[in-house]
Amino acid sequence: MDSCSRRLMKELQQLSTEPPTGIICSRDIASDDLKQWRVEVVGAPGTLYEGERFTLQFRFSPQYPFSSPEVMFVGQNIPAHPHVYSNGHICLSILADDWTPALSVQSVCLSIISMLSSAKEKKHPIDDAIYVRTCNKNPNKTRWWFHDDTV
Amino acid sequence: MGPNTQMPQSSSSSNAQGGDGNGDERKDDNSRFECNICLDTARDAVVSLCGHLFCWPCLVQWLDTRPNRQLCPVCKSAIDKDKVIPIYGRGGDNKDPREKIPPRPQGQRSEASSGGFPGFQWGDGNGNVQFSLGIGIFPFTMFSSLFTFGGERQGPDGQPQVDPNSAQPGSRQHQEEQFLSNTFMAIGFLFLFWLLTL
Repeated sequence: MDSCSRRLMKELQQLSTEPPTGIICSRDIASDDLKQWRVEVVGAPGTLYEGERFTLQFRFSPQYPFSSPEVMFVGQNIPAHPHVYSNGHICLSILADDWTPALSVQSVCLSIISMLSSAKEKKHPIDDAIYVRTCNKNPNKTRWWFHDDTV
Repeated sequence: MGPNTQMPQSSSSSNAQGGDGNGDERKDDNSRFECNICLDTARDAVVSLCGHLFCWPCLVQWLDTRPNRQLCPVCKSAIDKDKVIPIYGRGGDNKDPREKIPPRPQGQRSEASSGGFPGFQWGDGNGNVQFSLGIGIFPFTMFSSLFTFGGERQGPDGQPQVDPNSAQPGSRQHQEEQFLSNTFMAIGFLFLFWLLTL
């Protein structure tokens, strides 16, 4: 088994045996030879998204963990958030430039929950309409510009 | 009664934590020495100066991925391939890690010092390293270091004599004193030279 699959196996095992608060692992979390996962996250109590459930889709390249996974919201419920486009793409530095192999599915989920938690209003980014029409399907192909660390 | 009424809640949470803690403890025994990248027990283990453990092959691969941003994957401290410390446990595998990737850097050993002047340790071997200070500030300094070099050669056993009452070797004050004495010596030599040429 290659190192990528070994690492994904370990992450899957850890995440399903002791999932942190706010992360729900369904039985069929991983599919397609571990290269695609779906993880549910729950909005943290006391925030705008309290109790809401969102589905995150992870796609891993064979270079994982040296390259970042492709992470986006999928399904019916895509959170309206200043850093989340209505097609599910997420503007988050650790998913692009700031990715390091010490991060994991779990830490990415927690970062996203934390990002949701610090939102002050529920709305999509200003350039949502343009971006959604012009972007690549793969969020990792977007050159993200990280300008707002407050949310 | 305040603390008691709080008890059930705190005990249940501490129970949950305790349960987790026990599991963690057992798991920690294994995971404490896991590579931060592949999550396996680190092989050809190296530790960065910021204290994070990796397999050497994993770390090399990561640093090669982003050649212009050499950051620790865990804490994003600046790291360097040459400045990691290899860890040698008792059981080592026999595979040569150098087959594909650059060799793991050597551990750095230094001999215990026998003399009482650790400040001079680095200057002992090659004479006048400590006099590099101040070139350019004062034109005579160049001469002074030259002359001092000659002077030290003539010393009894190559060891500079140090008065126990003088400033601690290597300290700022010591360096300044050295600088001053060198300067005056240079002036003295120049004066002699001038006298001779008259």
